[in-house]
Amino acid sequence: MDIIAQKVSFGRFIRPIAGWLVALIFFFPIFWMLFTSFKTDADAVKPEYLFFFSPTLENYFQMTENYDYWRFAKNSIITSTFATVFALFVGVPSAYAMAFTPGRRTKDILIWMLSTKMLPAAAVLYPMTFLTKNVLGVFDTHFLVILVLSLINLPIVIWMLFTYFKEIPKEIIEAGKMDGVSVWGEIKDIVLPLAWGGLVSTALLCFIFCWNEAYWTVRLTTTDAATFSKLIEGNRAPEGLFFGRLSAVSTAAVGPIVVLGWFCQKQLVQGLTFGAVK
Amino acid sequence: MTDRLLPRLLQAPAVVLLLIWMFVPLSMTLFFSFIRYVLNSLRHPEWTYPSLENWRGFGNYEYVLYKSKDFWFAVQNSIFIVGSVIFFTVVLGLAIAVLINRPFLGRGIARVLLISPFFVMPSVNAVLWINMILDPVLGLNGLAVEGLNKIVISLHDYPIIGSFFSLWPEIEPISFRATQTSAYAVIIMVTWQWTPFAILIFMTSLQSEDQQQKEAAILDGANAWSQFRNLTLPHLARPIAIVVMIQAIFHLSLYAEIEIVSRGNGNKNLPYLIGEFSSNNIGAASATGIFAVILANIVAIFLLRLVGKNLAD
Repeated sequence: MDIIAQKVSFGRFIRPIAGWLVALIFFFPIFWMLFTSFKTDADAVKPEYLFFFSPTLENYFQMTENYDYWRFAKNSIITSTFATVFALFVGVPSAYAMAFTPGRRTKDILIWMLSTKMLPAAAVLYPMTFLTKNVLGVFDTHFLVILVLSLINLPIVIWMLFTYFKEIPKEIIEAGKMDGVSVWGEIKDIVLPLAWGGLVSTALLCFIFCWNEAYWTVRLTTTDAATFSKLIEGNRAPEGLFFGRLSAVSTAAVGPIVVLGWFCQKQLVQGLTFGAVK
Repeated sequence: MTDRLLPRLLQAPAVVLLLIWMFVPLSMTLFFSFIRYVLNSLRHPEWTYPSLENWRGFGNYEYVLYKSKDFWFAVQNSIFIVGSVIFFTVVLGLAIAVLINRPFLGRGIARVLLISPFFVMPSVNAVLWINMILDPVLGLNGLAVEGLNKIVISLHDYPIIGSFFSLWPEIEPISFRATQTSAYAVIIMVTWQWTPFAILIFMTSLQSEDQQQKEAAILDGANAWSQFRNLTLPHLARPIAIVVMIQAIFHLSLYAEIEIVSRGNGNKNLPYLIGEFSSNNIGAASATGIFAVILANIVAIFLLRLVGKNLAD
């Protein structure tokens, strides 16, 4: 009885309080960034205005002027979108083949694909710079960023699609084959509609990873194809002068993605653990 | 078309692209690591472009291992940062996952708040923490310490307790911009970002815990701690292993945070050191890169084995 009584009081009072406290602590830095974005740069560093100040949207209105916000926004949206589309375009047929017509090597290929993800990017920094700058001449282009982002995420995309496709009963595919449906028809009319939810969450997650990528997008661009990662990295040390405007541009850069992320928590587990945690 | 050919054709684009992506740059790194290749060499103009004639054997590796003090510092620091982050994220992740595994009022919203840090761009994460939170003057760190000092000083005027508080020294806020402390800053911000990841994975796994076994344990009078130790922890062994290894691989190539927090103050990890070498000594950069690949592979082998085992199930 004693234990159960203890459990009840823990469950009723302490758990919600502790749970909410932890959640608020973890969310606090994001809240603080949002909060500071409504302060002027001058107010943002004055202790007397720490909590009480007259909020302003000026930082948001001046983002274009201060940071050339839309150029980076445009680049982030273009590169992340097309990288996701391209990764799916290459990934869907591949995952389809591996899920429905597995061969002896399929498992090895899947594992090998994952292993490409584990190479430290920095190890090939100079070759990549050299190749893209001196040999191919694609340095700082959308094309390059799109290609690199999609290749980085291709293994995850294929793995996620593979696990989703695996859940489709093979009989349905075979029935389609009997009816003489072509491979493309099979993918388009049977597999994709059945795995639609999985496809969408794969795309969302891929988009989020592309958006947040912070190594190649910084090292392989200068201005033309520079994304938000580059923008923020370039303003790393504002020495307190620009807390307000920096908060505003940071909020505008991460806000949409954080909200998007809320919708694919579950898929995140699958995407990042390669189906190893269920 | 035969049955065999078609699946291969469908897989071909992905396989070919990944093959090129993996092997072309990496074999160049391997080649550069065996030659003298120095971009700004005035005395040896022949070293400024890659050529077989500048073969150096293992010279670059020897240089990196024995002559550059930075290498061992970077290796140590990499491991220190990765190890600390893993430790804190796993401990915090376990505690929080167990805490919020049961329903409570507003749990859904609390979960959404908890998970949010994971989706923040690494560069925003670093800029936000180092400037607005950890800065010893203008950040919350500085403001909090200043406020504390003010409170202590204002208490000096009171009788009795005043004489007690007048003995208190004024506190200095920790600056997170020095070599060692900036590593702490990196650990704090990466832990903040990745604890949600650990929570998510542990929670997913907790959902599949055997509840009957748990109820039996409660009836047997097992307390919460022994339940956790004897039932939950063994159940979570595999997810913990996965969280540890995935983080090890991701954080060994940590870059944005180090670049933003530590530029120019001597704190570095392997990717940062490679970046430094890459502005001039490509041979050394490449040799360091090969070491980084080896280090990552040691972890990757274990992880891939675990994932592969699951694939066979």
